[in-house]
Amino acid sequence: MKLDESEVESEVENTWCIGCGNFGLLNSVKNAVKKLEDEGVGKDRLLISAGIGCHGKIFDYLNLSGLYSLHGRESVTIQGMKFANPNLKVMAFGGDGDAYGEGLAHLIFAAKRNADITMIIHNNGNYALTTGQKSPTSVQGFKGPSSPEGSVDEPINPLKVLLSSDAGFIARGYPGKMQHLTEVIVEAVDHQGFSLVDVLQPCVTFNDTYEKYNELVEVLDEPAETRKEAVELVEKEERLPIGVLYKEKMPVFNERIYPEKNPVEDRMDEKERFEAVKKILDEKR
Amino acid sequence: MEDEDVFTYMVGGKAGEGVKKAGTAATDLFLDLGRESFQMNDYQSLIRGGHNFSVVSTSIREVYSHHMEADLIVNLDERSRKIHEEHLAEEGLMFYNLDDSEERDEGLGLPLDEMAKEYSKPDLIKGVAGIAVLAAYTGMDQKDLEDLIEKEYSRGVEENLSFAKEVYKEVEEKIDETINLEKGKTDSTVLTGNESLSLGAAAGGLDMYIGYPMTPASSILHFFAAHKDDLRVMPIHPENEIAVANMAVGATVPGARVMVGSSGGGLALMEETISLAGMTEAPVLFVLSSRPGPSTGVPTYTEQGDLSFALNQGHGEFPLIVASPGSVKEAFFLSKEMLDLVWKYQTPGIFLTEKHLSESAKTLDLDLDFSDEDGLETKMADEDDDYKRYEKTEDGISPLKFPPSKDLIKWNSYEHDELGYTTEDAETVKNMHDKRREKNETLILDLKDMNTVNEFGEGDAVIFTFGSTTLSVREALKFTDIEAKVVQPVFLKPFPIWELERYMDEEVIVVEQNSTGQLAKLLREKCGIKPKTVIRKYDGRPFGPRKLAEKLEGAIE
Repeated sequence: MKLDESEVESEVENTWCIGCGNFGLLNSVKNAVKKLEDEGVGKDRLLISAGIGCHGKIFDYLNLSGLYSLHGRESVTIQGMKFANPNLKVMAFGGDGDAYGEGLAHLIFAAKRNADITMIIHNNGNYALTTGQKSPTSVQGFKGPSSPEGSVDEPINPLKVLLSSDAGFIARGYPGKMQHLTEVIVEAVDHQGFSLVDVLQPCVTFNDTYEKYNELVEVLDEPAETRKEAVELVEKEERLPIGVLYKEKMPVFNERIYPEKNPVEDRMDEKERFEAVKKILDEKR
Repeated sequence: MEDEDVFTYMVGGKAGEGVKKAGTAATDLFLDLGRESFQMNDYQSLIRGGHNFSVVSTSIREVYSHHMEADLIVNLDERSRKIHEEHLAEEGLMFYNLDDSEERDEGLGLPLDEMAKEYSKPDLIKGVAGIAVLAAYTGMDQKDLEDLIEKEYSRGVEENLSFAKEVYKEVEEKIDETINLEKGKTDSTVLTGNESLSLGAAAGGLDMYIGYPMTPASSILHFFAAHKDDLRVMPIHPENEIAVANMAVGATVPGARVMVGSSGGGLALMEETISLAGMTEAPVLFVLSSRPGPSTGVPTYTEQGDLSFALNQGHGEFPLIVASPGSVKEAFFLSKEMLDLVWKYQTPGIFLTEKHLSESAKTLDLDLDFSDEDGLETKMADEDDDYKRYEKTEDGISPLKFPPSKDLIKWNSYEHDELGYTTEDAETVKNMHDKRREKNETLILDLKDMNTVNEFGEGDAVIFTFGSTTLSVREALKFTDIEAKVVQPVFLKPFPIWELERYMDEEVIVVEQNSTGQLAKLLREKCGIKPKTVIRKYDGRPFGPRKLAEKLEGAIE
């Protein structure tokens, strides 16, 4: 299938629940992909990945190349793609149980090493595909099949965790504000370095938060100037600021450990490789 | 039959005193004489103190293993003297540290602490005494010793030179005569198994090495980190083994040839991803260098307890390639061959080895000629094809295409259709199972044309072994009159039944380094071979060739 002859959205039957926040997210991604194409980031070099959960189905709904990964590992999958060929742009979709639970360590380290990747997290506060159990971002008291009397865990604040792990780009979006979310995603992909967009995704079946978010969400005009101010923004509970919350340009991982080299494009030929190996063997003689 | 030509040098002391370094310098000294060597380093999982030793056996013929009967032992402390007393060969000579031991009738004492305290790092410098004693005892010129010290101990060379000369003079005065080591003709290289497999992979076009430190595989990561510019292999050390394996799978999507490595515990963490590689058809080579388990086990020692573990990696059904080298040299060629195989078949492979091969050093001649067409080319899609990542083909192998590309290229951990979209359709599920199984059948056809089993020697007795134990068996056979054929399956999955079933009715002996006889079990299960005797060792230490020779004689009588 040729990418330039096909729509961004695939013909695969969509099985998300009617009213799911994921539809707004999917539309925002589709529009973002078109905008990125206009900017010169073609679909031929935009690769995606996804974890496992309701969010992951977006991998099948998009006619974009990539690898449908394991639960929690999508952030590592795209780092592998990026490090192998830094000319690619890579973006992964994760869920809150997936990226903030199973894969949290990967996310912290991706931020810490400033891997040039974009993460889009469908944060719906529960494990929906496995019928609504509590997730790392579920509020205390959340009732699900594994916590019938209410979850006793405190929820984590993933953006605070990532800001303190030196993440260079932290944003929040809401599918109820699709146009805004589109712009945030484009800016995240354009950012050189680690970027993460936490999407406040209502789950109509197990955790319907539309009313709450419609009331609390407010568009932020400018990112925070300092990391400390950004932490204050993500700690707010009475209002939920959306938009780019913090942005700082820093050197990216592959350029620091393997500068100006592209593992798959700047290969030595067989003769050069043998010469290099022989040289080391001679040194050991 | 006793092979008198082997000379064994042993040096023991505390961690941090440069014991391993002295062994390496000794190997170098023997190489200057044109002699072959095998160096085994025994060390504990600690940084300072404890007891370490290095043992080097040398001869003018190829030496496959170290010996535990030493002709010269240098003990840097009293604990070493006590431990190694039993390792002294009949005509052997032992040196001990006079400042740490009572004066004794046996052996020669040297005031090592007294001499070392004149230097800035008295503890660290002691290992240099090991090589100075060897130089004096073998009648090496002081000038040659100086050259050797300059080469091997370049850091703080002035002090090392001065200390070495002092010890050399002291030993010269104390010994009655020097021994003469016959000169050999070898002009080879000294490599550890890990260096060898790393260089082989680099020669075979490796683009990236990803690893998380775990003994005895860590030195592969260190090697690539040290050589990233000259070998052009990108080294990455991520947060954990799960990241290692998944990063590797991701890197294959744009076409990077990637290898990862760990020991058993680390591979256990990667197992979910080995299954992912099976499903997505990602060609990743996993190095598994074993140490005694279960669990944390005995980190710096050796065992072959992970054979069944390697063979049974990954949930679900998919083609998996497992092979294990029987020598340091074979490690070089096998890593390259396995890279080609995992790419041709787009499936994971496990390069199984053990601490004994990974970290022992051996002299070897390498001929870097891969020019023989091995028929293991990666199948690439034509530019104009209507591309399908998982296209059904006769041999089960779908052509590859790498982004950036105008084609849709979807790899998928879920069961998928030919385009790579998720499916639960019954017929497609069955078809994709068939496709992966057909790949395995094609793989077996390829293996039938390749060297999958090594055989050494001729004789009525048949001895089966695998991996590093092959080294011990081959060296042991130099010390017995037994005429035996050694059979070493290099490929363990798919298992080369076509080569081995002819031994079905033979009374074979199996030698392996684990407690349950995993190779014996495999031979029974796959080929109906019923081993008469299984010689096992599972104390973390490799077989000593002379003791193994006695066991083989007992089994064959």
